[in-house]
Amino acid sequence: MSQGVSNSAAGTIRVRDLSRRFGSTVALHPTSFEIGPGGVTALLGPNGSGKSTLMRSLVGLVRPDTGVATLDGVELIGDGTQVRKRCTFAPGELNLYKEMRGEEHLAWLLRGREPDSIARAVKMAQDMALPLRARVRAYSHGMKRQLLFCAAMAPRVPIRILDEPSEGLDPSKRGMILDLVERDAAQGSTILLSSHHLGEIDRCSSRMLFMHNGRLVKSEDSSSVRARAARILRLDFGSALGEPARAAAICAELLALGAKGAVVRGRRVVIELATDDPRPLLGAASACPRLPRPEGIEYGQLSLGELYRDVYGVEAV
Amino acid sequence: MNYGVRSMLLRTLAFAIVLEALLVPAVLFWPNFRDNIESLRGLMPFKAAREMLDQFGQAGAAGYVCGQQFFKACNTLGTAAAVLFAAGAVAGEAHRGTMELWLARPVSRKRLLLERWASGALCVVLPVFLTSATVPWLVTFVDEEIALKPMLLCAAHQSSLLLAFYSATFFFSTIGSNPLGIGFGMLMFTIFEFATYLIEKLTHLSIFRLADIPRFIAICTSERLDLAVVLPLLLVSVVFVGASLFAFERRVP
Repeated sequence: MSQGVSNSAAGTIRVRDLSRRFGSTVALHPTSFEIGPGGVTALLGPNGSGKSTLMRSLVGLVRPDTGVATLDGVELIGDGTQVRKRCTFAPGELNLYKEMRGEEHLAWLLRGREPDSIARAVKMAQDMALPLRARVRAYSHGMKRQLLFCAAMAPRVPIRILDEPSEGLDPSKRGMILDLVERDAAQGSTILLSSHHLGEIDRCSSRMLFMHNGRLVKSEDSSSVRARAARILRLDFGSALGEPARAAAICAELLALGAKGAVVRGRRVVIELATDDPRPLLGAASACPRLPRPEGIEYGQLSLGELYRDVYGVEAV
Repeated sequence: MNYGVRSMLLRTLAFAIVLEALLVPAVLFWPNFRDNIESLRGLMPFKAAREMLDQFGQAGAAGYVCGQQFFKACNTLGTAAAVLFAAGAVAGEAHRGTMELWLARPVSRKRLLLERWASGALCVVLPVFLTSATVPWLVTFVDEEIALKPMLLCAAHQSSLLLAFYSATFFFSTIGSNPLGIGFGMLMFTIFEFATYLIEKLTHLSIFRLADIPRFIAICTSERLDLAVVLPLLLVSVVFVGASLFAFERRVP
């Protein structure tokens, strides 16, 4: 059963209380969010956090136990064929039909799409220097990934769901793929992509959804990241932080001067400010004789790695 | 040519060649067989085989050809082909990890499954009809005459049994992920059924009773389909296809 697309829902992904359990394992706890229209949203989380289950549920490959998902205004019903007509999905699993030739495989992947999508996919694959006349069994891991990516990017659909599209690619190919994702999002597509490469997410996504143990634990957009960054100050004290007792004393002094939090990360102390103006603390610190002279000062930067560490309490790789 | 169509044509051609390769020498051997039927009867080690020879003798060339084409070739190789074509139909996708890709396109699961069932079913059934249709021409080389209609009716009867085996295996393929295990299990089952047919006291329990020489001879004689057998066999196929659709709708790739 299909439904008409209302203007307000065009290009959006709306999820309400979507959940899925496999036997006694809860792969996805009731999850709700809304993204789009347009832009790149990154889905982040450690392995087994439920990213792929969520993506598969959105396109009807896995039937949710509860909840409602609506893509481009069309509710996910039955096996999700109507939803898949409005979006493309590039799976994270990389098993292709090895006996097919590259060009033939693209046509197979694009069954049910508009006919000229094949020509666009072929053009994209040629730009990536994929050997389309060769059989897929001769393809490297990265080539197979690019073939799937081309098939996901070629159709004219408002939504694309890409499960680790750059996994296993060399840096130049990864850059090429990110360029295409950014260009597509700039043209109005809504892209939900998962990745373990924080650098590429930093570069192209406007919003981040963090998942952990099947739950959506945090949602950050670029403005909230900027607001958090405005309260982060880093002081590089060099070798003065090498001795643990000395490092602890410096942190205690900064807290006494009004910092909301202070932790040592390598040569630097990362300070959480109480306000988004660093000047009072910097003034107090420069006047304090018990603090060493900093070798460097950084303000207003929040790396995705820190955000990841914030959410999961572990260092991002 | 589309990959799926090419693959289907290749399988159909391969099975048809095998069936025809068995049929041609069998037909050409007919005069020799007819002249030595008594001697051959003495060589048969068990009663069921002797009865088969008697049936050949009574029905002439038509009975002999039916025995060779349907009871021997189609019931053994045809069943094996049906099982092998169906075992990997869905389980093969799961086994090699391509199921997610197969299902991720904007095509309904119902359509994908019915297409897969139909293409495999054609691979099983078409060669039976095609090779049976060559019988009237082949028997002219041994100065015999057999009409096309009874051969096609026998092919339809045989196909209903092969489709039942095919659909049952297809169902197990839809719910399983190990095509080798499914194929092996179903082959063992069909071999067991065929062996049961050859045991005098158990022969009435064998599924192959539904497609044995007397039944084909009766079809040739009456020139009518045995609907009392064909319809229930087709119903079995329909039930298994329905069960496959139900299971496939809920299957996780």
